[in-house]
Amino acid sequence: MIKKEFLLVLRDKHALIALFVMPAIFILIMSISLRDQFTQDNLHFDITITNLDSSRLSRNFIKDLKKNTTFSILKNKQEADLELIIPKKYFKQKNAELKLNINIIGTMKSDLIEIFKAKITKSFIKVKLENINKEIKDREINIAYEDLFSVNYLKSKTIPNSTQQSVPSWIVFGMFFIIIPMSTIYINEKKQNTLVRLTSMNISLLSMTISKSIPYLIINQIQVWIMIAVGMFIVPLFDAPALAINGSIFAIIVLSTAISISAIGLSNLIAISAKTGEQATTIGGISNILLGAIGGVMIPKFIMPESMQTLANISPMSWGLDGFLKIFINSAQISDIATESLVLVFFGIFTLIISMLILQRRIRKGL
Amino acid sequence: MIEISNISKNYGELKALNNLSLNIQENTIFGLLGVNGAGKSTLLSILNGLIDIDSGYVKVFGLDLAHHKKEIREISSIIPQHLAFYENLSVGENIEFFSKIQKSNKKNITHAIEVNKLQDLLKQKASTLSGGQKRRLNIAIGLLNNPKIIYFDEPTVGLDPKSRNDILDSIKTYKDLGISVVYTSHYMNEIEKICDEVAIISKGQLIKQDLLENLLSNKQSQKIQIELTNNDEIIETNKDEFISTIQKLNQDNINIKQIKYGTTDLEKYFLEVT
Repeated sequence: MIKKEFLLVLRDKHALIALFVMPAIFILIMSISLRDQFTQDNLHFDITITNLDSSRLSRNFIKDLKKNTTFSILKNKQEADLELIIPKKYFKQKNAELKLNINIIGTMKSDLIEIFKAKITKSFIKVKLENINKEIKDREINIAYEDLFSVNYLKSKTIPNSTQQSVPSWIVFGMFFIIIPMSTIYINEKKQNTLVRLTSMNISLLSMTISKSIPYLIINQIQVWIMIAVGMFIVPLFDAPALAINGSIFAIIVLSTAISISAIGLSNLIAISAKTGEQATTIGGISNILLGAIGGVMIPKFIMPESMQTLANISPMSWGLDGFLKIFINSAQISDIATESLVLVFFGIFTLIISMLILQRRIRKGL
Repeated sequence: MIEISNISKNYGELKALNNLSLNIQENTIFGLLGVNGAGKSTLLSILNGLIDIDSGYVKVFGLDLAHHKKEIREISSIIPQHLAFYENLSVGENIEFFSKIQKSNKKNITHAIEVNKLQDLLKQKASTLSGGQKRRLNIAIGLLNNPKIIYFDEPTVGLDPKSRNDILDSIKTYKDLGISVVYTSHYMNEIEKICDEVAIISKGQLIKQDLLENLLSNKQSQKIQIELTNNDEIIETNKDEFISTIQKLNQDNINIKQIKYGTTDLEKYFLEVT
């Protein structure tokens, strides 16, 4: 029965595209598109500077800004994004009555303005610290800007990049797309009376369900590793960061199996509840998109309002995504993703039981 | 072999079967006649344990269906009206799949393939088969468990006459192999051609059950057909008017070619009793 299910899926070209090609393309597009959203390395501001302060500090300040590759100092104000005005006697003031003025020439998102302010502040502090060091040289105190902070990543070894954010999302989303072949095959079996025939051959619902599930468990595993390979080897070819797996490989296997069980359960439920192939494909497609949207596949959960983040827990995709992010970013081991895996397995078994009960009832009623 | 006693099956308000009782003897080809919705398919599904009955009981080879569904399914097989196999698999893959799940032995597999003339089609994808070939594959799958009883649910629907005859001829051979057949069809001539015994059901109730020859014999009908030599004209009369009709034909010097007593085909009889 497992071989039969495999043959049927592998001969369904549309299903193969939905299962393998679509998530791979999503990963590629989203990793490249979001490349700059997860790093400030490629941020760039075209600015003009109007310096009304003739002090040495203001000249040092501008010199430091010029050294910073984030800024291009332009002469023509019309071509710039921002204008920075250093007021007269700004660096000599004692009571902070004067402020650096930033004029926004075009349009700019507020978060970019904040980043710009932070970059300017960095140069400002550097110049000020250098001046303090010079003034108190005799007391052997020397504090550089770089000495002020020490940043440590307690759980992850690296800073998350766009690929690490995209790959888990589209792996989880793609895995749930088994609804398409599962429902198509199931509806065909119902339509062609093969389900009735199998029942008349004493094939139990449990063995039917298990033999239908095993091929999809394997297909889901293949999907996961293909998507990971795309993230590691294909995405970098397009100048986007490569996927780095910081956590345990076994954790990936355990989590993806748990996601698979929940995807199989949900797919079974939808396939069995639907009356026609069209109905199953429509309901399946819509449920996938809704669960993906709620679960943080389309929009990262951390930018959702708190109420939506709570609501996300109803989506199995959210649990799967959290688990993968833990593995990829926070170096999670099997024990770290135990909760996510258990919730997913419970969801899968629950939906499988419900779908088997519905099928049993339908068979007794003659489908 | 099959004892059906006062069985009823309701779908909500609809009475699919209403206190139906039947006895089907071993090693016969038993025809089940009825219009659409008469309850034929429901009865076959019940006999194979696919649908539970609301009341009454069914015994197959002395085994009560309610308690021995599994055992009864092992010795029986249903050939569904709709083609019940995988169109995306080849003929050989379908046979392999259904034989594996039933743990069929090689002899049964070979027999199912040969009797349905599928030897040369094993590598062909099922979806590309002709209508007749698909029906043969559908039947072959039903033979894989070497059943003692086969339930055919209108197996020739939509087939050309040649394919239909091929299938009917193969069904007739099952009797020689000790397989009993319960056969439903819309085509009365098929029932006439292959069945030993017939039951007519209407609205879930048994109208008539008898041997085919009895149904068609003079004991079962009052109608008499007189075929004349003159342009093969046929006059229909009944027992009471038979003598006077013959006398009148004699007086008129009209020659008689043959006289048929009783209904000559099942369709007419079926229309009479339903």
